[in-house]
Amino acid sequence: MATHALRPAAPTYSRGRLYEWLTTTDHKKIGIMYVINSFVFFLIGGILALVVRTELAQPGLQFLSDESVYNQIFTMHATLMIFMFVIPMLAGLGNYAVPLMIGAPDMAFPRINALSLWMLPLAGILLVASFFTGGSAAAGWTSYPPLSLDGPLKSPGTGQDLWIVGLILIGTSSILGGINFLVTIFKMRAPGMTLFRMPIMVWTVLVTSVLVVMATPVITSALVMLFIDRNYGGRFFDPFGGGSAVLYQNIFWFYSHPAVYVMILPAMGVISEVLPVFSRKPLFGFKAFIFATAGIGALGFSVWAHHMFTTGSVFLPFFSLMTFLIAVPTGVKMFNWVFTLFRGQLTFSTPLIFAIGFLTMFLIGGINGAFSASVPVDFALHDTYWVVAHIHYVLFGGSVFGIFAGLYYWFPKMSGRMLDEGLGKIQFVLMFIGFNLTFFPMQMLGLAGMPRRIADYAADAGWNDWNMAATIGGFLIAASILPFIWNVFVSLRNGKIAGDDPWEGNTLEWATSSPPPPYNFDHLPEIRSERPVFDARHGRGAH
Amino acid sequence: MSPNPRKRPAPEALIAGLVVVILAALVIAVFLTGWGSSLYPPDAVTQQGRDVRGLYDIVFAFGLAIFILVEGLIVWSVLRYRRRPTDSDLPTQTHGNNIAEVIWTVIPTAIVLFLFVISWQTLNKVDAVSARPDIRIHAIAGQFQWQFEYLDQDGKKVATQLTPAYDTATGAGGMAVPVGRSVQVTLDSPDVIHAFYVPRFLFKRDVVPGQTNTFEFTVDASEAGQVFRGQCAELCGTGHRLMLFSVIALSPTAYDAWLNALIEKSNATPAPLPSGTVLNVTAEGIKFDTTTLDVPADSPFAIAFTNKDPAGVTHDIDIRDSNGTVVANEDTINGGTTTNYTINPLPAGTYTFFCSIHSNMTGTLTVK
Repeated sequence: MATHALRPAAPTYSRGRLYEWLTTTDHKKIGIMYVINSFVFFLIGGILALVVRTELAQPGLQFLSDESVYNQIFTMHATLMIFMFVIPMLAGLGNYAVPLMIGAPDMAFPRINALSLWMLPLAGILLVASFFTGGSAAAGWTSYPPLSLDGPLKSPGTGQDLWIVGLILIGTSSILGGINFLVTIFKMRAPGMTLFRMPIMVWTVLVTSVLVVMATPVITSALVMLFIDRNYGGRFFDPFGGGSAVLYQNIFWFYSHPAVYVMILPAMGVISEVLPVFSRKPLFGFKAFIFATAGIGALGFSVWAHHMFTTGSVFLPFFSLMTFLIAVPTGVKMFNWVFTLFRGQLTFSTPLIFAIGFLTMFLIGGINGAFSASVPVDFALHDTYWVVAHIHYVLFGGSVFGIFAGLYYWFPKMSGRMLDEGLGKIQFVLMFIGFNLTFFPMQMLGLAGMPRRIADYAADAGWNDWNMAATIGGFLIAASILPFIWNVFVSLRNGKIAGDDPWEGNTLEWATSSPPPPYNFDHLPEIRSERPVFDARHGRGAH
Repeated sequence: MSPNPRKRPAPEALIAGLVVVILAALVIAVFLTGWGSSLYPPDAVTQQGRDVRGLYDIVFAFGLAIFILVEGLIVWSVLRYRRRPTDSDLPTQTHGNNIAEVIWTVIPTAIVLFLFVISWQTLNKVDAVSARPDIRIHAIAGQFQWQFEYLDQDGKKVATQLTPAYDTATGAGGMAVPVGRSVQVTLDSPDVIHAFYVPRFLFKRDVVPGQTNTFEFTVDASEAGQVFRGQCAELCGTGHRLMLFSVIALSPTAYDAWLNALIEKSNATPAPLPSGTVLNVTAEGIKFDTTTLDVPADSPFAIAFTNKDPAGVTHDIDIRDSNGTVVANEDTINGGTTTNYTINPLPAGTYTFFCSIHSNMTGTLTVK
């Protein structure tokens, strides 16, 4: 088995390039558009974060005179970063990489794939447009009722409704994408690509898709009920009408905790590709890694109520135990990554540097998780800046560093040109320092008692210095994005020609041209292990 | 392939090892010298808080050890295994090691099970509530103010503290508790979710509308005379940051005097309306029933104020002049109650009357 004869006849007429991109069903173009769309919302969400940090730099309300605006800003920061950046960005990288990595010509349902993509900018526009309809949602990205219900001092505006509709659209996009990934991975693998020869990136997308397909309909139900409560007099979550405020939290977190793994597993997949390539060694404990990924996926459904330990309505020992246990497969992964580096031959290209950044920062986020699992400790830390630090160590130190590792890793494949290494390293240094300067102090702030989501704090509370440090760090992070944008801009025109396999990669995407042709492969190498391109380069004996 | 294990020059390993040891020593030094104290919660002032702190210290010790171990391995690998131009052969292709996998599955499992068990034990102490606590307080958190009802042993209300935060200048306000006595707090909300959070207690509990949460604490005897900052910790709307309160720890005798004074104040009949101008203002649905008031200049007047919102939603009427200076600062009243505010004479001008709890409740007071 060496060839795939899947090229259709060339179209007899040509269209403009823009038209071609807007109507494409090619998973590579769709993946790239996912990435671009997500990056735009990353910039918007980042600017919102700078507004928050500017307001909090010093005690007093200096910058935002109206507190309701502050609540809108941090609500939309989290909403955009989670639902319009991290989740779709990873879906985009998966969209680009998965068919290539399993030797498939495209996703299983190319048109549904395009539909999943185009729902996202629509949802993003709805979310951002809510700022111009008298105010966006302002009840936090969690939108707990009764605060998110209609009423004075609650959420009377249309912004909250637009938020619900936007999230339902994004959720629908996720479900369609998840089904598409599952069918693609189970039905479209090239001959020889057994499940246990699939790259870890594909495995993480597989587990993520299971989580998405199982959990997203559940949050959609919560959102629909919230919409009915707000607009048609429903009483699902109204405690004064026979409903339950905590019920919403259970349904919300039944999705939103697995969503944390949706946001981290594919990033783990990215660095599980990057670390072996730049260490010139196989991933340590390949199968253990797969079992750990599946274990995280399974356990991920039994820990949701650790977000609700302080509600007084949770069976505490069960959720505490499960939350502690999920640290075990995560720890297995950490050791496997570190021992992939161990005794390797490391080349410190930008993808590896970001992957190592992931390891060092995600470790802190993971250790923090054990504190939250311990119920009495969580009583002290919950809803303080400590939690803000924790989620950013996981989702920024983990996911975002993983995303940049992936962007630097696959940019040559996507564009045919290399990104500049020097600019990449400048970005890393600025981002790494800025990140730690922003989020490490937040642990101290939380321990010292600063609650999250407050627009202002007392000058004598002892929180001034750490807040100033966090704000400076925030602007450093913003500065680190500029060399990246410049890098992409310059490299697309003048970057070094990449060639098929600039990194000496292991997986099938490096066996085709950069960028790959439509339908991906003219020839496929033999697939006898999880590293077919490595085998082709070094001979099977090197394995 | 079977490559000969190539000898690497010793300096790389030496440098990598040295850097790891220095970094680990630095991290440990930070904690031994007290510089790391900001990574610990503040000293607990309750019996329950000290239990939480003891647990935190254990979790932290494990976390710090794992942090040093893994970060050390990463730094070691990064410095030690750099690819050199002479590295043309592949390194040994290690695919894994079952013994290693078992070790780093079993040991972390044992650690987390241990942490789970001690957390559970601590939880049973921290979360325990007794049938007959020494003191009962019913805390009501409404947008955006706390109030504390002091109950007798049968659960009957004897007094209400409507001023939640302690004022150092006047000594008024705050939730007083006696040290060394068990205090049971029940939490209710008339509107949205709030959370009772006192950082020095190392504790918080949500105030959920439609359900009554209960917790108990005992302030250490050595803390008599101290005032602890408290704050709502669950986003509750535009006044979230303003939901501050104080817990005042008093010796049992001082507490009795404090409570008696509060009972007297709660039972005091509202001052009779003076003769002269009387304005009637009603608050309902987080709104005043009027946005314009007129009074003559330079003569005292009174406001008969009715709060028709549900119990737990407090309002007041304060007045500020056109420069923003507050010229009348009145006490808040609970939902379902009325009061009379007597206002001193004001010079002619345009003023704003407002509710100090709800920034949207304002109106214009014209004095002429």
